[in-house]
Amino acid sequence: MTLDSPTRINPMIRHRASHIGRAVPRREDRSPLMGRQRYIADLKLPGMLEVAFVRSPEAHARIVSIDTAPALALPGVHAVFTGADLADVDLFPHKILYIQPVRQPVLALDQVRYVGSPYAAVVATDRYVAEDAATLVAAYTEFEPLPTVADLDQALAENAPRLYDDWPDNYLVNFPAEKPEVTQAFEEADHTFSDTYVSQRQTGLPLECRGVLADVHDGYFTVWSSTQSPHIVRTTIAEMTGIPEPRIRVIAPAMGGGFGTKTHIYPEDVVMTWIAGKLGRPVRWLEDRFENLLTGVHARDQRHEVDVAYDDDGTIRAVRCKAICDVGSGEIFMPGTATVFVTGGCLTGGYDLPNMEVHHFCVVTNKTPSGAYRGFGVPEGMFVMERIIDRVARLTGTDPVEIRRRMILQEDQMPYEMHGGGRIDSGSHAKAFERAVEMIGESLELVRARYADDPDVRVGVGYTNYVEPTTPTYHLTTGFWAGGDSATIRVDPDGSVRVGLGTTALGQGTETTAAQLAAESLGLHPDDVTVVMGDTDRAPYGLGAWGSRSAIVMSGSILMAADRLITKARDIAAHLLEAAAEDVVLSDGNFHVSGSDAPTVSWSQVATSAWVRTLDLPRGMEPGLEMTGYFEPPELEHLPDMSGKVNAAASWSNGAHAGVVSVRISTGEIKIEDYVVVHDCGTMINPMIIDGQVHGGVAQGIAGAMYEHFQYDTETARPLFASFMEYLYPTCSEVPAMTVEHFETPSPEQPLGVKGCGEGGTIGPAAVVAGAVDDALADLGVEIKATPVTPSAIREAIREATAGGGER
Amino acid sequence: MKPAPFDYYRPATVEDALAALGTSETAKVLAGGQSLIPAMNFRLSQPDLLVDIGGVEGFDRLDVGPSGVMIGASVTQSRVMASDEVAEAVPGLRQALHHVAHLQIRNRGTVCGSIAHADPAAELPALAIACGATLFLQGPAGERTVDAGDFFLGPFWTDLGEGEIITGVHFPSEPADTVTLMDELAWRSGDFAITGVAAAVATRDGCVSGARLVSFGVSGVPSRMAAAEQAVLGFAPGDDSSALYGAAYEDGGDAVDDIHATAEYRREALGALAVRSVRAALASNGNGTGV
Repeated sequence: MTLDSPTRINPMIRHRASHIGRAVPRREDRSPLMGRQRYIADLKLPGMLEVAFVRSPEAHARIVSIDTAPALALPGVHAVFTGADLADVDLFPHKILYIQPVRQPVLALDQVRYVGSPYAAVVATDRYVAEDAATLVAAYTEFEPLPTVADLDQALAENAPRLYDDWPDNYLVNFPAEKPEVTQAFEEADHTFSDTYVSQRQTGLPLECRGVLADVHDGYFTVWSSTQSPHIVRTTIAEMTGIPEPRIRVIAPAMGGGFGTKTHIYPEDVVMTWIAGKLGRPVRWLEDRFENLLTGVHARDQRHEVDVAYDDDGTIRAVRCKAICDVGSGEIFMPGTATVFVTGGCLTGGYDLPNMEVHHFCVVTNKTPSGAYRGFGVPEGMFVMERIIDRVARLTGTDPVEIRRRMILQEDQMPYEMHGGGRIDSGSHAKAFERAVEMIGESLELVRARYADDPDVRVGVGYTNYVEPTTPTYHLTTGFWAGGDSATIRVDPDGSVRVGLGTTALGQGTETTAAQLAAESLGLHPDDVTVVMGDTDRAPYGLGAWGSRSAIVMSGSILMAADRLITKARDIAAHLLEAAAEDVVLSDGNFHVSGSDAPTVSWSQVATSAWVRTLDLPRGMEPGLEMTGYFEPPELEHLPDMSGKVNAAASWSNGAHAGVVSVRISTGEIKIEDYVVVHDCGTMINPMIIDGQVHGGVAQGIAGAMYEHFQYDTETARPLFASFMEYLYPTCSEVPAMTVEHFETPSPEQPLGVKGCGEGGTIGPAAVVAGAVDDALADLGVEIKATPVTPSAIREAIREATAGGGER
Repeated sequence: MKPAPFDYYRPATVEDALAALGTSETAKVLAGGQSLIPAMNFRLSQPDLLVDIGGVEGFDRLDVGPSGVMIGASVTQSRVMASDEVAEAVPGLRQALHHVAHLQIRNRGTVCGSIAHADPAAELPALAIACGATLFLQGPAGERTVDAGDFFLGPFWTDLGEGEIITGVHFPSEPADTVTLMDELAWRSGDFAITGVAAAVATRDGCVSGARLVSFGVSGVPSRMAAAEQAVLGFAPGDDSSALYGAAYEDGGDAVDDIHATAEYRREALGALAVRSVRAALASNGNGTGV
């Protein structure tokens, strides 16, 4: 077989009705809705012990000594392990060449660099005793505090305390850039301005926290982990512990969400496996919400120092942006360094900007390591771009819609190469924007009328036009893996189909869409298809679910496997029909000779011949009816070229968001009155599921725009959060009703024309809300430059803009 | 997030409850547990004994009479909210309880428990002050009553003595000329207030004739707004509100800065809420609906 894979359904299949593009009900919803889903917290094994991790209360300190004796003396405690006990476990790998290596141990050995860093593990009969013992370990640990670094300014100050003694400074990534054409554009432009935009520290906040259950039997390890990437967990555990990879089975059972945070390989995955091996019995750790807030990766902590060159007529000639990401302590695998490059690469969104120069920096601080979160750098950049456009519109007196119309990508520009090398193969950017403007225009009038009599309320509208990179390379994120994924399809003797996938399900409807794809590509019905994911012994090697990649990689690998199956099945059917293979077609699940409806051979008859009555097979044919497709997305690049450009995503969906807000001047109260999304992710496999992705994404985008914020004490770098009293996610009361419409511009390059849709919803709201608040308060001169946009922040902006407080 | 070990006792009488509390210096009363249990799970609170008063005889009384509403120590917020008789006698209670957390929490949380906990951003302590409620306490030294206005001393700090418990709270019936209501700013529905005002506003001839205005969520303790209460006298619906705003802003002089809002924001919000509350009270014109 060559790497060439089919991009269309095999033409020999004739469907009565297509399964692609239909709102097939989600098959995975029944169990969670009935309260019968089996999460790791529902799994129990005989003899199982519970583990609690002991975590650093210090933001930055040397560990002087740990006395585990008092904890070990507590009844019910089976063992206490510190980093020194795990000397046979390798450090986390470092595989990316262009960043500072961190190489952290699974349990901190002599230095802790953030509050929450695990440095010991307690094994006990239950979690209550384990936490009692963990408290004792903490009480008998001596720390020598070190100077802390709480934010970017402190980290980059002259003579700043360094997190890593052997580094020259606190830069994990230090990539300045300079382009002569940008410098020239600044010289030629009518005007320039400089400004700083900030997006705040947030996280993906899965409903189910993480958890690991590890068991060992006859030297064979089974690890249940709430991870988005079970195969990558397996490979990493094997590499770090020396356990042969075939002796490790990683199962990601039902998951209550991940949102990117569960793509990382956390220390607990490795430590729990090691403890199971050490004690020879099953051990379970369930992350509680406090731990999840403290030690699940954070994200979006970025500052952007921009210079903008523009002309009197509102033309933006060039943007220069220093994108600086606070990645916390950096002690996470894979490192949280890739997002800032995505921010830079996607900064221009759906706009054609003549010149751009982005300098990329990642800086370590004494905070929770940062990493992946739905949107992966794109929302931060889109916030910056739309803020720049709105500012130029205001400075030049240009209509914010008009200025966007002039810049937005047109269909005749496709394929379009972005400054960072991203190649947008197709899209409906201009059309989607026009439709969003039309939709929001109607509700804007209604909302204005609603508040016409209330002088305390102002109404405004905001827009964004983004691109959503999907199916990215994992090589620039991990330095190791690339972009491929897999599907194994088996037709059983009863004629039903089992699909094993290298991607995983974390709530996004993959089981349903995979069944639609397999049914379509085998001439069957989705009900005939069983989908298996998230188990390294039952599914083929794959990279898991992240980067909005499942739609493309499943489509590609399922089509490949199905094509191979059909080729073989047709040979078997032809033999049974005593016909020539090229005359056999497949319609409504039955093989028959083209042009005659009878006789027919069913999938069951073919599979029975292949597995059971192998005597019926054509002479010399190998038995079996199972095929695997290993799919590498076309157009996806894994390393930059000499100029630093790389098309790091296989495809680029697009969308336009617009929203109307009302702002109460006296209190800064803000309400999203209406929100519209015009979305284009190419061929839609299941429009209902795509709507759900957009709805949930917008909700998370609103979370970042207005609510969620991890704050730290600037003196001590200690977290100012411990629970949902401090970290405010929006509830159903805060998320507005929204209208979602779709355009369908198929990708010319990807299988079936699909593009991916998991993250677009999150990208828009920060830009839209900030733009709308600015618009509402334009006559006061308010400009929003940071998220979250809270009432307190709005009042502060009003005070600053009006030197006092505006109207009361 | 698991509590340290503790003993649990569920007495049937107030005497047994008091006796049990007397056996330990760290014992805590468990009513609805909606604040205490999370604090214990964080090990911020490590009582060695929990005395669950949910089964104490008489603590479940919810009596509505001519003088007002008597709410026993184990009566849940949901039960108070559901009672039409209560809403008739003290309309502010139902309206305020809408702001207290969420349905599931109100199903367990008690009115007296919230008052005893004395979270500075909680609604019920402020409402009790605004309504002129009376607290009934019982302890080793016997029974006593305290005006709600004298009960709250600081953040999570009240006049409750060692081993003493709240047995009930009495909210007087709303006078015919008075409207009691509550308004607050919280970033999300059901959250503790960033800034709130509980107001009991009396009117005569369409003007404010007297008011108890209580701020909460602003400083460490729910507080009467002395300047605003003075400034509001004689206020009529069409009046310019800047004096009232300014007085309320002054009342917020000890506002706190925290991760959710600045002190300056809280003072401005207090001004705006005071004006909003008084205008709402005047608009309802003493008809008792309050909303």
